[in-house]
Amino acid sequence: MTNIDELTPVEDGHEMRALIRRTSNNQRARRVLISRVMMTLCAVAIAIAIVPLALLVYQLLRRGIPVLSTTFFTKLPESPSLTAPNATGGVSNAIIGSLALNIYASMMAIPIGVLAGVYLAESNSKLASTLRVIAQTMAGAPSILMGLFAFSLFVQDIKIGFTAIDGSFALAVLMLPVIAISSEISVRNVPNTLREAGLALGAKPHKISMKVVLPSALTGIVTGVILALSRAVGETAPVLLVIGGGYLNTWKPLDPVSALPLMIYTNAKSEWPSLRAEVWGIALVLVVVIFVLSLGARLWASRKQQVRN
Amino acid sequence: MVLLPDLQQHDEEVAEYNSATSSRSWYHNLLVAVALVFTLISVAFVATILWSSRSAWSSVSTLIGGRGWQSPTGPFGGLAMIVGTLETSIIALAIAVVIGLGTSIAIVFLIPRRLRTIVATCVELLAAVPSIVYGIWGLLVLAPFMLNTVDPWLNSWPLAQYIFGSPGQEFGTSLLLAAIVLAVMILPTFVAISREVISAVPQELMEASLSLGATRWQMIREVVLPTARIGLFGATFLSLARATGETVAVALVAGGVANVQFHLLYPGTSIASWIATEFGEAQGNEVAALMALGILLMVISFALSLVSRWLVNRQRKVLAMV
Repeated sequence: MTNIDELTPVEDGHEMRALIRRTSNNQRARRVLISRVMMTLCAVAIAIAIVPLALLVYQLLRRGIPVLSTTFFTKLPESPSLTAPNATGGVSNAIIGSLALNIYASMMAIPIGVLAGVYLAESNSKLASTLRVIAQTMAGAPSILMGLFAFSLFVQDIKIGFTAIDGSFALAVLMLPVIAISSEISVRNVPNTLREAGLALGAKPHKISMKVVLPSALTGIVTGVILALSRAVGETAPVLLVIGGGYLNTWKPLDPVSALPLMIYTNAKSEWPSLRAEVWGIALVLVVVIFVLSLGARLWASRKQQVRN
Repeated sequence: MVLLPDLQQHDEEVAEYNSATSSRSWYHNLLVAVALVFTLISVAFVATILWSSRSAWSSVSTLIGGRGWQSPTGPFGGLAMIVGTLETSIIALAIAVVIGLGTSIAIVFLIPRRLRTIVATCVELLAAVPSIVYGIWGLLVLAPFMLNTVDPWLNSWPLAQYIFGSPGQEFGTSLLLAAIVLAVMILPTFVAISREVISAVPQELMEASLSLGATRWQMIREVVLPTARIGLFGATFLSLARATGETVAVALVAGGVANVQFHLLYPGTSIASWIATEFGEAQGNEVAALMALGILLMVISFALSLVSRWLVNRQRKVLAMV
C-alpha cells in the first residue's frame, strides 16, 4: 500500500494521475479479491451449518419411521428380557401423559399469561415495569430450574408425591412468561384508533379491552400460546424430576405419569439396543408434533394478517 | 427472539388513554390481581429453591471450589460442574458464533430474495427442535463416530495429549462432544436472532457505502457489522444462556463424571446435567446441595439474560437514531 501524500511532489500532472490510477487499480483488485474470499467463506459457513442439521433430520426420518406401528401408538411399554430382547411394547402411556401434562399446564398458564400480557400492555405502573423485567428474566431461565421449583414446592413442602400435577405446574411456569411477553406485544400492536373509537362511543375501559382490543389481538395471542406450548411439549428437564415416570395410561392429575421426552431420555440410556432404537420413533413423533404446531401457528397468523390487510 | 417494537411513544398514548378513563373497574382489579399472582409465582420460584438449598450454604466454599462429589454423605464439591459448564458452553459458543455469523451474512446477502423466507423459517423450526433430540443424536450417532474416527485423528496431532488427554481412555462421550452438540443446538438460535439484526440494518447505509466504491465485504465489515454490533452481542449472550442452562442433551453426551477435567476427550459434566442425573437417587443433604447448584445456575442465567436484554434494547435505540 503506497501513501500518495508521502511521495515527493510530482511536477507533472500526468504522472501523478497515472500513479493514482495504478495504485487504485492495484488496491481495487486486492479489495475485490478479499471480498470474494470472505463471501466464499460465508458460503462455506452456511454449508457447515446445514450439514449437521440436515444429517440430524435425515437420521431422525431413516431410523424413526421403521419404529412407528400400531403397537407403538396403542400399547403400554414392556421391558425387554433375555428371552424376548425386542419386546419394547408401545408408548401409549407417554402419549397420554404428554397430552395430560400439557393440557393441565395450558389450563394454568394461558389465563394468567394472557391477562398478565394485557396488563403489561395497558398499564405503565411500577408493577408493570417490574413484571416485564421478571417475565423476560424468567423466559430465559434454564428449564431444569422449573423442575427444581416444582419438586421443592409439591414433593418437599406440600408432599403430594411425584404426580402429573407437579409436572404440569413446572411446564406452566415455563410457558407463563413466554405467553405474557407475546400477548403484550400483540395487544400493543392493536392500533390506538380502535381504542379511541371505543372511547368516543362512550364505552368503559374494560368493555373496550374485552370487546375491541382482545378480539383484534387474538391472532397474535393464540400464536404466542401455541409457540409456548410447542416449547413445553418437547421439554424434558422440568418433568424429569417430578412426574414419577408412571407405566399406566392415566389422565388423573394425582397419578404418576410418563411423557414422550422423558421416555426418550430414559430409553436412550438403556442397555437394550431395542429400546435405544425405539427412541428414534418417539423423537420423530415429538418433532412432527412440534413442527405442525409451530408451522401451523405461523401460517395461520400470516393468513389472518393478509385477510386483515 | 422477537425484537420488541419501540414502546416509548405508545406508552405515552396509553397513559393518556388511561388517565382519560381512570375509573377503577373490576376489570382493572382483575388485571392487577393476575399481575400480582405472576409476581408471587416468580418470587416463590426463587424463594422455594433457596429454602430447599438452605442446609448446603453452610459449606459454600466446598460447593463452589471443592473437588469430588461423594454421595450420599458429602462433601459435595461443585468445581467440576462449574468448570465443565464453562468449558462446554464457551467452546460451543465459539463454534456457533463463527459459523453462525457467516451463515447469517450468507442468508442476508448471498441467498436469493425468494428463498430467504423459506431459509429463515427452516432456521426457526430447527431452533424449535427439543434439546433431547439433539441429545440422542449426539449419543447414538455422534458418540460412536467420535470414538472410532474423530478421536484417533485428533490424537494424532502434535501435543494432542495436553489438550485432549492421552489416547486409549476415551469413551465416545466427552466434554468435546458435549460442546459440539451444544454448538449444533444453539446455532439455529444464534442465526435466528443475528439474521434479524443484520437484515434490520438500514438499506441507505449500505447503499451509501457501496456508492463510495466499497466492495461487498467492505460494506459488511465497515457498515453492517458495526451497526448491528450490539444486537449481535445480544444474540451471543442469549445463545450462551441457552448453552449454560442446557440439561438433558449434555447429560446424555458429556459422560457424567464429576472430575475437574481439562482434557477435552475425557468425560465431564455440567451444573444443569449433574442436577438431572443425580437427582433421582439423591437424599437429604445431597438434595440441598443440588438445589444450591440450581441457585448457582439461576444466578448465571439471570445475569446473562439481563445483559442480553439490555444489549438488544440498546441496539433498537441505535437503529431508531439512524
